[in-house]
Amino acid sequence: MEHWLYSFNIGEHTFWVNLDTLFTMWFAMLFVIVFALLATRKLSIIPNKLQAAAESIMNFFYGVLDTMIETENRKHVPLVASLFLFIVTANLMGQLPLRIIHIKQGELASPTNDINLTAAMAVIVLIYYVAAGLKAKGAKFFLHELSFTGIVMALVEVLEMFTRPLSLAIRLFANIFAGEILVSIALGAMAYFLPLPIMLFEILVAFIQATVFMMLTIAYIGSAVKEEH
Amino acid sequence: MTDTATISQMAHLGAGIAIGFGAVGAGLGIGFATKGLMDAVSRQPEVAGKAFGFFLLGAALSEACALYAFVIAFMLLGK
Repeated sequence: MEHWLYSFNIGEHTFWVNLDTLFTMWFAMLFVIVFALLATRKLSIIPNKLQAAAESIMNFFYGVLDTMIETENRKHVPLVASLFLFIVTANLMGQLPLRIIHIKQGELASPTNDINLTAAMAVIVLIYYVAAGLKAKGAKFFLHELSFTGIVMALVEVLEMFTRPLSLAIRLFANIFAGEILVSIALGAMAYFLPLPIMLFEILVAFIQATVFMMLTIAYIGSAVKEEH
Repeated sequence: MTDTATISQMAHLGAGIAIGFGAVGAGLGIGFATKGLMDAVSRQPEVAGKAFGFFLLGAALSEACALYAFVIAFMLLGK
């Protein structure tokens, strides 16, 4: 997939920006922010419909966090909830007919079919869980005990710091990317009829992949802050 | 042996092999997950809803392995 590239120079370095990803990402962010602002505007004991929907969404996050992290679990809800809501909105945007808007290069689609966006989110998760582990356990986060087994385990955990964000980024990117390729192949094979069931399946995939990303984030944070016995 | 056409042909062959073997693993994984779901539901039909959620999660995780192969195959097709 080609993207609408825009280049600019800072000093001697040239930076490239994928403008189509940027626009669709801002659109998804705007949707989530407007939903959050509208849902929290007039809070009352007897909630209106929007507030009730937002409360049930928050209860979902609280329930997942309560079951997967033992202590002080609810302080992680801002990262987890914003990741989930943003990824769901971004994935579902791929099924909107955005491609009828012609841009100079590339096409408007789901912003998560760009590996730069998913890699950025995976790096945020990496920084967050390392920081949470350091805050909870200090230097013991890296080295549990000073023995041969402890050093080997520490090396394995350093290796995991590379493989975990890599697999997070590639999983989300590849699912959305493969879905769009599949829809375009189906469109070429039998236009207008064959893509419909595949697009319905892609809506399911959008929710599943957002849930997988959120669950893995929570599992990484949970394993980082867990007390050793 | 190292002219551009040969490299392109070999890359296309490699793409086919990559996605083929990747699909084997993911297919086995989803098959085992479905077997587990069927076992759980036939033994205890009241957990069907909860087990289906975990099944979808596990199926998505094992399906991702085929999609890693898909990404590699797509990169090879561009050669």
